[in-house]
Amino acid sequence: MIDTKSNQYAFIFAIIVCVVCGVLLSAVSEGLRKRQEINVDLDIKKNILKAVVLEVPIPQKAKPQEVLEIYKTKIEEHVIDGQGNIIEGRKPADIKKGEKGVYPLYIYSEGGKVKSYAFPIVGQGLWSTLYGYLALEGDATTVRGITFYKHGETPGLGAEIEKAWFQDNFKGKTIYSIKKQELTPIAVVKGKAADVYQDNPEAAKYHVDGITAATITSSGVTEMMDRTLRAYEPYFSKVRKI
Amino acid sequence: MAEALLSKKNKKLVKDGLWDANPLTFQVLGICSSLAVTTQLKTSLIMAFGLTFVTAMSNVVISLMRNYIPSKIRIIVQLTVVSALVITIDQILKAYMYDASKQLSVFVGLIITNCIVVGRLEAFAMSNPPWKSFLDGLGNGLGYSAVLVILGIIREIFGSGTLLGYHVIPRSFYDAGYVNNGMLVLAPGAFFLLGCIIWIQRAISGYAEVK
Repeated sequence: MIDTKSNQYAFIFAIIVCVVCGVLLSAVSEGLRKRQEINVDLDIKKNILKAVVLEVPIPQKAKPQEVLEIYKTKIEEHVIDGQGNIIEGRKPADIKKGEKGVYPLYIYSEGGKVKSYAFPIVGQGLWSTLYGYLALEGDATTVRGITFYKHGETPGLGAEIEKAWFQDNFKGKTIYSIKKQELTPIAVVKGKAADVYQDNPEAAKYHVDGITAATITSSGVTEMMDRTLRAYEPYFSKVRKI
Repeated sequence: MAEALLSKKNKKLVKDGLWDANPLTFQVLGICSSLAVTTQLKTSLIMAFGLTFVTAMSNVVISLMRNYIPSKIRIIVQLTVVSALVITIDQILKAYMYDASKQLSVFVGLIITNCIVVGRLEAFAMSNPPWKSFLDGLGNGLGYSAVLVILGIIREIFGSGTLLGYHVIPRSFYDAGYVNNGMLVLAPGAFFLLGCIIWIQRAISGYAEVK
């Protein structure tokens, strides 16, 4: 009989518990991985469809197959390079992690006419990385929609980025100033954009209302807008019709 | 042991958790999650199921090992077992109820630190046989669940006007000037509500804190 009070016993016991739990958990995780990946993929597609604001919205209780069908018929997937050229034969799904200089682009068309360009936006909030999609109108200048689908910000504060009021406040803003012929990445202000830029309607067009008590999340959004829009600008300057 | 599986004593174990020693109203444990996830009935139900499953199963597992666990590392062993069960639940939710798992976000993972689970392990499972421990865990889980479901129903009906996502307050009420109570959607509303539930439950059960 081993002495159950000895350190040796405690060590052996701990190791056995860890190994058993570890093996069981790996089995569970491996067994469910396929289904989880399908869910994540579906969620991403739903978010792209939400960002581009479909003319006929997806029904509330749409089945996964229906959502995928709508996605397949409405959205074209492309990959562009740093010079703004579409790379033929590549899909966003095969961009490798950490690969530089290539950017996924989703084009929503209705009846052969481009309605919207959507692309992922990723940036740092306070606690977590924020993941979302930004969609521009067919003019490649006006914001059509935005979604955030993954983050770990504080509910009620930073997590307000997933609320309709915050996302709606991007709609209709412009990322390019025709007057100055330059890119104007959207920035989040403290307070209300309309108040801050009362005397400067030009600037009010590319500033959005901030979230009270979520300064770091807000500046994270500003930073990701700036970085992402600059990366896509070579492409958008080509398709923009002014 | 010749004791029947559902003897009076054993039934009392379940009943204690449900009523006389309800973890929320009597022991006032697990408040954090009960405020956070009860804005809707659906998330309340999932959380209730998750916690009941984890409490009952971890009680059984720890009870089976109770004579072998070195007391020096018993809390660590308990937490390892609880974590493994919670992660399993989390993975299953992610695979089969993705939307719900996104809504519950961090709170499923936080079952690990829920005082009810570790409390029952320390207070009961470490010194009682598996079947009794299972009933004790089940009773406490159900006691927590009952309060969660009551909170979820009240908060969803009066905070959002829906129940399980279906509209239950007729359109005509809104036309007549009725508005949803926004406070019930927020944590303070749940806090007041929980206070009232504790008050009512204690008034009926006759329990009072000893001075």
